[in-house]
Amino acid sequence: MSKTKFARSTILILTIAMAACLTQPGCGKRDGAGGSGSVSKTTVQNIGSDTMVNLAQAWAEEYAKVEPSVSVEVSGGGSGIGVAALINGTAEIANCSRKLEPSEIEKAKAKHGSDPKEFMVGYDALSIYVHKDHPLNEISIDDLAEIYKEGGTITKWSQLGVQAIPGGKGDDIVRVSRQNNSGTYHYFREVVIGKKGDFKAGSVDLNGSKDVVELIAKTPNAIGYSGLGYATPEVKILKVAKKKGEPAIQPSIPTTLDKTYPIARPMFMYTPGNPPPHIQKYLDWVMSEAGQKIVKDIGYVPLPKS
Amino acid sequence: MIAETTNRLFAETPLVRKKQRREWVARLIFGMMAAAMIIPLLLIIGYLVYQGAPLISWDFLTTNPVGGMRRGGIWSALLGTIWLVGVSLLIAAPIGVMAAVYLNEYARDNWFNRIINLAVINLAGVPSIVHALFGLGAFVLFARMGRSVLAASLTLAIMTLPVIIASTREALASVPRTFREACWNVGATRWQTIRRIVLPNSISGILTGVILQVSRTAGETAPIMFTGAVFFRSISEGDFFAYGLKEQCMALSMHLYTVTTQVTGAPKPLPYAIAVVLLGTVLLVNATAIVLRVYLRSRKKW
Repeated sequence: MSKTKFARSTILILTIAMAACLTQPGCGKRDGAGGSGSVSKTTVQNIGSDTMVNLAQAWAEEYAKVEPSVSVEVSGGGSGIGVAALINGTAEIANCSRKLEPSEIEKAKAKHGSDPKEFMVGYDALSIYVHKDHPLNEISIDDLAEIYKEGGTITKWSQLGVQAIPGGKGDDIVRVSRQNNSGTYHYFREVVIGKKGDFKAGSVDLNGSKDVVELIAKTPNAIGYSGLGYATPEVKILKVAKKKGEPAIQPSIPTTLDKTYPIARPMFMYTPGNPPPHIQKYLDWVMSEAGQKIVKDIGYVPLPKS
Repeated sequence: MIAETTNRLFAETPLVRKKQRREWVARLIFGMMAAAMIIPLLLIIGYLVYQGAPLISWDFLTTNPVGGMRRGGIWSALLGTIWLVGVSLLIAAPIGVMAAVYLNEYARDNWFNRIINLAVINLAGVPSIVHALFGLGAFVLFARMGRSVLAASLTLAIMTLPVIIASTREALASVPRTFREACWNVGATRWQTIRRIVLPNSISGILTGVILQVSRTAGETAPIMFTGAVFFRSISEGDFFAYGLKEQCMALSMHLYTVTTQVTGAPKPLPYAIAVVLLGTVLLVNATAIVLRVYLRSRKKW
């Protein structure tokens, strides 16, 4: 009997404690310093771009060795998720594979009182992927636009001069695209389709950069776009020409840095206003040689050495 | 003479034989359907273990993922799941059990209690992704908890509450009414009856229900994705208190999701090994529930 009595009183006390905790907003308020854990750690909330999530993860993993007192919490979801979190205050650093829109800057400013601060942390050469056995080797942005945009005329591979696709079924182009809160999606739309245009309906829209590459690896008829860091041996990266007739360029570190590859883009990290010292220190490390080496290891393009 | 007549009367007619055949067929079909339940379970476990076996070891459980989560173990994710489940249970179990006691022991059949009942039933039917959005709005943003273990656990707790209430009510209802009546008749109040008679006699059922709920919580991904689980975070190995209530954590289900959808070049057995650990945790918890139930039942007084 006394045992159950004890259990009951424990339950009661716990409930009261929980209720007390719930009613007190300060209980959940994050102030940087670690919570009730035995180790006092500073946490940094890092949310955003799906293109950059593996990179952010690698940075966080390495930085834990450099600065054990700081723990970087990385989550993905897409650039849009990162920007939303930056605006509503749940992200201390937002990863974004595109620039912030003016409207987003305004919203952030209204919420936090200062403009979000932008840090360029590397480049991604947005790569056009096809199946590894696909005969096509290069493509122009004009053709890409005709494939992807609403009202575009190219729907079959034969229109690009491709006769037979090994392992493929028929001649139709399977267009692989991304969900619309993806920074990659926005960038692709901006540079390939144009700001006013829209995507042709009927593309396969996937939620992740890796998903795009994996689907293409299994689909001989497919074409799609994703970060350079997601390349695998099962897919082929096409050379891209700015216009029909111009030379097509292979995405790589040099062609990204000298801007000959036409669809390379910078990757950003944003903080709401000026970052506190521990976050500034992390960002400095990210942009340092040690941090940029990781950019290269993951498969993206590091910032040029100044 | 009489024996002959009975034999003739009860001899198998073609009709009886036909009935027996049909009976046999029906039994076989129903039996096969029941047996079919085992097959997917065995196939799933067998396939996962077979695929994940090369990676599973003690070190896999106790080391952090390294090398872009391609190598190393799953310590940080496993610990996160333990935290989330533990905290959500601490919140949901007392509230759920007390609510169920009220509904089963005190509540009269009036409009107010009918509304409560309706709310419980409907809450149980809310999809987990909706709970996730609610958690994001209510705990993360409105209560300003930020994305944290606490916010995620609260979300999970709300999700598990209706099921805990339902299973507890069932356990309470299984205590015969005559027990209560006998108790009331010697002058005991309702609370005294609950304390001395109803709870001790139903505790095995209550605990089983609560523990089985853990298995559901451990596997949920959607509610924690928005409210407190992260893609990656580095913590110290072997430290059980590496996560704070106000910090975010990794979780097994989320880790499985990210490894399969995000990490390029992860070794093939990795997702399977994570799945085996997740499944193993759940089965271990369920086994505990069964042992506990058997033990407590053996002490039952009727």
